[in-house]
Amino acid sequence: MDPLTIVPVTQSPFLVPVYVAYAVIAIGLTVGLARVLFRSGAVFLEDVFKDSPKMAEAVNRLLVVGFYLLNLGYAALIMKATGAHTTVEAAEVLAWKLGALLVSLGVMHFFNMYLFYRIRRRGQIAMLPPPVAPQMRLPSDTRAHAFAVRQAHEAQAFPAHP
Amino acid sequence: MKRLTVLYDGTCALCVRCRDFLATARTLVPLELLSCQSHEARMRDGAVPWLGEELVVVSDDGDVWAGPAAFLVSLWALADYREWSYRLSGPALAPLAERFFVAISSQRRRIATLFAKPRCEDGDVCRIPHLDHEAHSPRVPYR
Repeated sequence: MDPLTIVPVTQSPFLVPVYVAYAVIAIGLTVGLARVLFRSGAVFLEDVFKDSPKMAEAVNRLLVVGFYLLNLGYAALIMKATGAHTTVEAAEVLAWKLGALLVSLGVMHFFNMYLFYRIRRRGQIAMLPPPVAPQMRLPSDTRAHAFAVRQAHEAQAFPAHP
Repeated sequence: MKRLTVLYDGTCALCVRCRDFLATARTLVPLELLSCQSHEARMRDGAVPWLGEELVVVSDDGDVWAGPAAFLVSLWALADYREWSYRLSGPALAPLAERFFVAISSQRRRIATLFAKPRCEDGDVCRIPHLDHEAHSPRVPYR
């Protein structure tokens, strides 16, 4: 059926209830999940941005805004249904729409978690030690002496400009 | 650790290419690139048994890494490849990374002929001009 065809309400008496139920559930789910993300994300980002808590708050809010936009937008886009002539069909249509929405929310959720992981990793990685243990240790006094000799050489060869 | 010194084979074109790459790459630890044939390398780090045979990385604290370990530590120093140094040192990829590095290191002269100048028999003509300040030792031909 042509997606732009308007289906008269009398032919599909259950369509409007389906739409209403879908809208309520979709908005409720999105808001609930956004709250979870906001709270857990705050803990996480506080660790990542230890020295700037305002930055942590800002990043958190921005991510939540993005989450809202994507999910409510996607929910609105897939809302349109072709028809619900019986209660059974109404239930099926509702289940299908909610299923599609939940799957997309799940994907967004894991993507968010991956983003958090990457942000955290980027902050951590500058502090980590070398990947392998050294095979040998030179006594520090010989190297320090040699380094001092080199510095003396350099001072001789390249005298500091006035 | 404030600085890492990378001691590479100054007579091998492949090693010089890698050295040039390290000189321009973004690092998380300051790198000093020194040819192992240079006078300074012999003076400072002559006690290292692998000097001249393997890639050697020495920190200013006196820690020494040689061979595949030195390769991983050089990666670790680069900002864009630090994550890779951890991956390649993990249990899954470590044997592969080690084999890869040993293969390249042992075949480095052969690989160098792919993009280096032709072999020069008279040591005076084939030189690496921009490395003159590093090599205070007698002239070595660029192979």
